[in-house]
Amino acid sequence: MSRIRRRSGWRRWVNPVNIGGLVIAVLTAAPLYWLLVSSFKSPNDVAATPPEAVPFHFTLDNFVQAFVTNDLLQYMLNSVIVAVSTTVLVLALSLLAGYALTGRNIKGGTGIMTALLMLSVFPAIAVLTPIYLIERSIGLLNSYPGLIIPYVAFNLPFAIWIMRNYLQGIPSTIEEASEIDGAGPWRTVVSVILPMSKPGLFTVGVFTFTAAWSEFLMALTFNSETSFRTIPVGIALFGTQFSVPYGAIFAASVSATIPIVILVLIFRRSIVSGLTSGAVKG
Amino acid sequence: MSTARQAQATSRALSRTIKQDRGNRVGRSLASKKSRSAWLFAGPALLVIAVVTVFPVLYSVVLSFAKVSINYDGFQIDGFTVGNYGALTQSSDWYHALAFTSLYTVITVVVELVLGMLSALVLERLGATRGWMLALLLIPWSLVTIVSAQLWKYIYDSTYGIATWGISLFTGSDPVILGEPVSSGAALMVADIWKTTPFVAIILLAGLVMIPEEQYEAAELDGAGAWKSFWRVVMPQLMPTFTIAVLFRVLQAFGVFDLPFVLTQGGPGTSTQTLAIMGYKVLFQDINIGPGAAIATSTAVIVGLGCLIFLRAFRNQARGERE
Repeated sequence: MSRIRRRSGWRRWVNPVNIGGLVIAVLTAAPLYWLLVSSFKSPNDVAATPPEAVPFHFTLDNFVQAFVTNDLLQYMLNSVIVAVSTTVLVLALSLLAGYALTGRNIKGGTGIMTALLMLSVFPAIAVLTPIYLIERSIGLLNSYPGLIIPYVAFNLPFAIWIMRNYLQGIPSTIEEASEIDGAGPWRTVVSVILPMSKPGLFTVGVFTFTAAWSEFLMALTFNSETSFRTIPVGIALFGTQFSVPYGAIFAASVSATIPIVILVLIFRRSIVSGLTSGAVKG
Repeated sequence: MSTARQAQATSRALSRTIKQDRGNRVGRSLASKKSRSAWLFAGPALLVIAVVTVFPVLYSVVLSFAKVSINYDGFQIDGFTVGNYGALTQSSDWYHALAFTSLYTVITVVVELVLGMLSALVLERLGATRGWMLALLLIPWSLVTIVSAQLWKYIYDSTYGIATWGISLFTGSDPVILGEPVSSGAALMVADIWKTTPFVAIILLAGLVMIPEEQYEAAELDGAGAWKSFWRVVMPQLMPTFTIAVLFRVLQAFGVFDLPFVLTQGGPGTSTQTLAIMGYKVLFQDINIGPGAAIATSTAVIVGLGCLIFLRAFRNQARGERE
């Protein structure tokens, strides 16, 4: 593979690699730009032909409409409650289970881990009806636990995998040292394992939060009442009236996207390492 | 609920566990002592998973063999039958959904891998801007799928969509992109490819940067050109990453629901109806629980079988060259 050679003047910048990079950046960013500018356009400009690439009449009406007349604030609150609760529970449970399943202490750990792998790729549609029927019979439909419980269960297998892999990197001599110092298993987890597993917890936390924030099928099925809708359901059902209020939809979309984008950019190292390290090491 | 991101990281663990469990068998005497507290730690998580996922899976299988009738207080099972599956094999809608889902999966995954590979090769050679590009690529990945679906629905809109306008510049008439089966399917795939290619690119890039520089130099000394060294050096090294990316993209694409639900509602007609959309409609719009459970269960079985066959065929690649 030939490497880029140093060149002078414009030739230094105009080369296949930079052109390729520019193409990728434009193709990725263009739809995002369109989403962003459309959220600030007036209804007339949203429907303008030919489309306006640069909005001339900047307006915040869409945001007002989304937040005031379309219950977006309620949806966001619901999403925050569900996603934060899910994340906290998954972090706690996966830390303990991941630690226990490092294989040092449990027989049949490999079998359990394989079963978890299979579960984590199972299509959600396959379990939708039973969970719906169960939640209906015990009155959990249209409630926060009605979403939090399935979200915790479906995010746990993956979270346990991640935690287990981080914790396997911790030498067992550290645990043993802690035991010799007289710490019980609980104490060892809290004061030795917990501080060492921060990178794993970050990865699990970001993945779980984004998954819970984006999940649609279960949220649509279990929590369809307005007061319990999460953001994806709210945004999907925005356009069910007479016309599709794209301006308001995009204002809601931008509002729903900004928190997650900030989170993802802050924790991007955790995400990239979570996405890749194992596959790379093979 | 397999999001691609979950899937990818799960995958890395798979290959790693296989290795590590061998090493872990050494310290067994200590293990029995700690085993009780270990079960205490793992118990709550495993219990939640068993109750909320394993039990419903089994329940779903039972329902798929049941004659279910709906009444005011809920539903009741009137007996057991294989008729739900029999009805599927008679249903042209089901065959169509199966064919469309398979086509959708093959095309999106192939295109995403090719474009993802090209992007990763470009990104690897970018200098200072690589960090910014990675940040940019993470945005579509993190976008709520429903948001992306609404955005593309607007882009394809038959009166004021920018894609409609762009095409009309060339053809002179406004196309109804979401109104024709072929263009509707293509529109769906483009939206999926836009959102997911960045994710594939990031994974493959991480694989690329791990390839030692000397291997390129060795290939160059042997007189291999760029094309040859790509197939001789890059691809073999990247195979574990690549295989796992394929597996989990396939599984995810096969269960696709959010995007067609908003973008096409499976239409026009049933032309872009995926198995998940069909299952949802039968279960929650027609309230036909038995047949719906049969669709859901058969989808899960197809996914499971595909997963097993793939893992068996590519076991060595998935585990990596060094094993």
